[in-house]
Amino acid sequence: MSPAPRRSTLALVTLIGLLTLGGCAAGQESGTVTLVFKYARILGNADPLPGLLRQFEAAHPGVRVQGEALPWTSDDQHQFYVINLEGRSPGFDVMMLDCIWVPEFARAGWLLDLTGQLAPDELAPFFPSAVASATFDGRVWALPWNFNVGLLYYRTDLLAKYGLRPPDTFEELIEQVRRIRAAERDPALDGYVWQGKQYEGLVVNVLEAFWAGGTTLMAEDGTVFPDPTRAADALALLRSLITSGVSPAWTTAADEELSRRAFGDGHAIFLRNWPYAMDLFEGRGSAVRGKVAFTAVLGRAHGARGVGSTGGAHLGVSRRSRHPELALALARHLTSEPAQRAIALGAALSPTRQALYQDPEIVRDHPAMPQLQQLALAGRPRPVVPYYQLLSATVQPEFSAALVGVKRPERAIADASKRLGFFLQAVR
Amino acid sequence: MTGREAADRRRALVCVAPTVVALGTLTVYPGIWVIWLSLQRRVPIFDVSRFAGLENYAFLMVDPRFWSSVRTTAVFTVGSVALEVVLGVAAALAIHTQQRGRRVSISLLLLAWAMPAVVGAKLFEWLYHPAAGLLNVLLGGHRINWLGDPALALPALILADVWRTMPFVAILCYARLLAIPADVYEAAQVDGAGRLATLTRITLPLLGRILLLAVLFRTLDALRAFDIMFVLTGGGPAGTTETLTVYAYRALFQMLQLGFGSAVSVVVFALVMAVAWAYLRLLRAGTVAA
Amino acid sequence: MNARLRTLADAAVLLALAAYAIPFFWQLLTSFKPESELLRVPPLLPSRLTVSHYQVVIWQSLMPRALGNSLGIASITTILSLAAGVPAAYAVARLPLPGKRLLLLAIVASTAFPQIATVSPLYLLMRGLQLRDTWTGLVLVHASFALPLTIWLLAGFVREIPIEAEEAASVDGAGLVAMFRWVVIPLLAPGLASTALLTFLFSWNEFLFAYTFTVSEASRTIPVALALFPGVFEVPWGDIAAASMLASLPPIVIVIALQRFLVRGLVAGAVKE
Repeated sequence: MSPAPRRSTLALVTLIGLLTLGGCAAGQESGTVTLVFKYARILGNADPLPGLLRQFEAAHPGVRVQGEALPWTSDDQHQFYVINLEGRSPGFDVMMLDCIWVPEFARAGWLLDLTGQLAPDELAPFFPSAVASATFDGRVWALPWNFNVGLLYYRTDLLAKYGLRPPDTFEELIEQVRRIRAAERDPALDGYVWQGKQYEGLVVNVLEAFWAGGTTLMAEDGTVFPDPTRAADALALLRSLITSGVSPAWTTAADEELSRRAFGDGHAIFLRNWPYAMDLFEGRGSAVRGKVAFTAVLGRAHGARGVGSTGGAHLGVSRRSRHPELALALARHLTSEPAQRAIALGAALSPTRQALYQDPEIVRDHPAMPQLQQLALAGRPRPVVPYYQLLSATVQPEFSAALVGVKRPERAIADASKRLGFFLQAVR
Repeated sequence: MTGREAADRRRALVCVAPTVVALGTLTVYPGIWVIWLSLQRRVPIFDVSRFAGLENYAFLMVDPRFWSSVRTTAVFTVGSVALEVVLGVAAALAIHTQQRGRRVSISLLLLAWAMPAVVGAKLFEWLYHPAAGLLNVLLGGHRINWLGDPALALPALILADVWRTMPFVAILCYARLLAIPADVYEAAQVDGAGRLATLTRITLPLLGRILLLAVLFRTLDALRAFDIMFVLTGGGPAGTTETLTVYAYRALFQMLQLGFGSAVSVVVFALVMAVAWAYLRLLRAGTVAA
Repeated sequence: MNARLRTLADAAVLLALAAYAIPFFWQLLTSFKPESELLRVPPLLPSRLTVSHYQVVIWQSLMPRALGNSLGIASITTILSLAAGVPAAYAVARLPLPGKRLLLLAIVASTAFPQIATVSPLYLLMRGLQLRDTWTGLVLVHASFALPLTIWLLAGFVREIPIEAEEAASVDGAGLVAMFRWVVIPLLAPGLASTALLTFLFSWNEFLFAYTFTVSEASRTIPVALALFPGVFEVPWGDIAAASMLASLPPIVIVIALQRFLVRGLVAGAVKE
């Protein structure tokens, strides 16, 4: 063999070695069992999660739980999960899932079927709608972890000052905003803040407006936009909130946090948001401490009563997990009564176990819990279908275009219908 | 063929073998595969995988969001390239007039170019912050919502991209200016040409060919741009900064429509290839020095 | 023009360009501003400087790990790209290659290739080969994307090597590899440096593929880690600014210290006299 091929063989071998080393460098652990738990950072005054994970480790010697943060927004989280689960790598064991993804992930075969592993009435203590959103095709795919329902927050001090009852309908709210702002003469005081940015939160807000108007996004039989006129009317109402100044112009860029901060700094009269915000409003140093209460979301004067959209997170086990029993044990631990109690007390997350809403210790710290439970039971879920994400991703830009004024609401609904027709054709 | 030539041919084949294998498997093969994908309805999560012919393309033709992204891409490309050329030539001329400090000048310029597009995006996201952004402060404290206003988002994006890529054009022009022999200018001076005449009659025409090259490179880059709009605005608000590339990516990985997303990708592919082909034509016509 | 005016004019140009670089300097300043003063502007300048953001980024974030990933991937990409590119460039520039026109066409066309066009098939390919979340997968994709431009640039540099040197070597009986080792590569060295720098920068800055092909936090590259920088209550602008500065460090070092090679690389293939 001449010198040349030997040298290049050596180089080749070195290169392959480097690459393999590099391949190994990314993500393999040896020794103790490591469970990877992916979850979104928890908002609140304290984060009880690390403590709960260490508790689990203490109860299971030789097991390490690595908590990894998900991207910030629901859509980015979904994209992250899809890209990775579709790629078939067993990167994580326990996943925090937005309840709207469970049917989709179950259908895709990414979740471990938990039905056979659960005791007969293990799910009885949870909210029925939470269990329903964790069920697909008659099987259970996740354990309900925390619960959400849309709420209308209001400034009790401002409403009391003008002798107003919390509004039931959009029309009442608009009138109250006008009155209060005219009297207060505070240019920094906004009326009604909500989430109008182009993301999942927008769909939730629009859905609640649809329901108030007596229509919906998807009917029982699967028809999308069964009543386009009413849907366009609801969108037009939301748009008018911005054009008339009842809601500030930045609403179209507002997510939960942006709107919460505005209200929490005392710059808004009404806020539509989730239960977690209450804890932050009642926290030490909050500008609105003691001045906030909540009620059901808005209805329409000649429409239906306001019904909050339900949501929340479930814990699922990856079907490709190398340690399914341990992963399920971790999920059980985190949804257990003590864990949910700790989360309800420390973080701003609402439990899925109904009994905790009447629990004296929790009610003492969060007096509004029983009221929250009633509203949660009355809440309505988003369409529980495996293609919900596709639905949402398709209508988001259309709703946003209508809100921003780039498209007329009727046109937005029509375009959304056409697109949905094309995309759903393949998956239904 | 002589023995020497045959040996050379063999050597040549050995030399290009790794390249051919690499390009074949990772560029050409996927390039054909994506066209095949675009002719399918492919949704992995739902195990949908069937041949659909030109269905995706037919839908694209009547899809308002597609045409909106075409418009956005066009505005972005033309706007960016035009601004870059004007600013780039100005910067190159300015540096060329310097007697000392050229190295520092070029370093300052290259700072903007060397950083990753994502860093540039985060930088401008902070600059454009309605409350604390430098831009609003310098403009007198108005809370202009650069990235949230549908009328302002695209100009803001173009500005961010121009800032990052103008140095490339400037350096190309500067290098060309360096290569112009001094006696050309001396002759012009002897003929009594003023500075403006020198600029328009001598310098700019000599820059012409390199500018054409810069325009073509930058046009291709702008058509393919993805990082900066994806990270800065995500295509919002209301799709006003959603270029074809962002639309394709969303269709692929947010809606998981591999077939439809591939169709949009193929359109980008075709567009870029068309412009590249135009460049090759000019190249062969000898208009560009290469 | 007298010397005084000349100096003033020079200074004016420097100032103008410094103003151009203000976004960069603003980010640098932000990275040293205390958290509480970030959102309270004016005043633009902070009352004191702090390194807390850098501490957060270095000790508590994924950036150090991402830095390691980026360094490794960019380095290996550069090596691979040059290893395949140098012989190919030599063949294109010097040797009678069957199908040269076709290859040149393919190479030129590949330099214009949009990444979005191949991301979906490559995603399926990576998935099938289980190469997602590995350095290998990303290196292969980066190298193949950098290869066409590498060959194009290097071919230009090869053509500048005086043919006499090679002829002298082959008269002395040197085989192809010896010719490479002793003649071509040493003479090509400056061109190699420029091309290597450009390839390194490309791989360092690449986002689309890195974003799509990485799964776990541990395997993220710098651009991906920065884009996915986590925030809790609100966006941590100070931490992001610090992370941005760290992410730009290698490119900036290259730009300042190795400016000559970089400029040469940018200009090569475009300006020929």
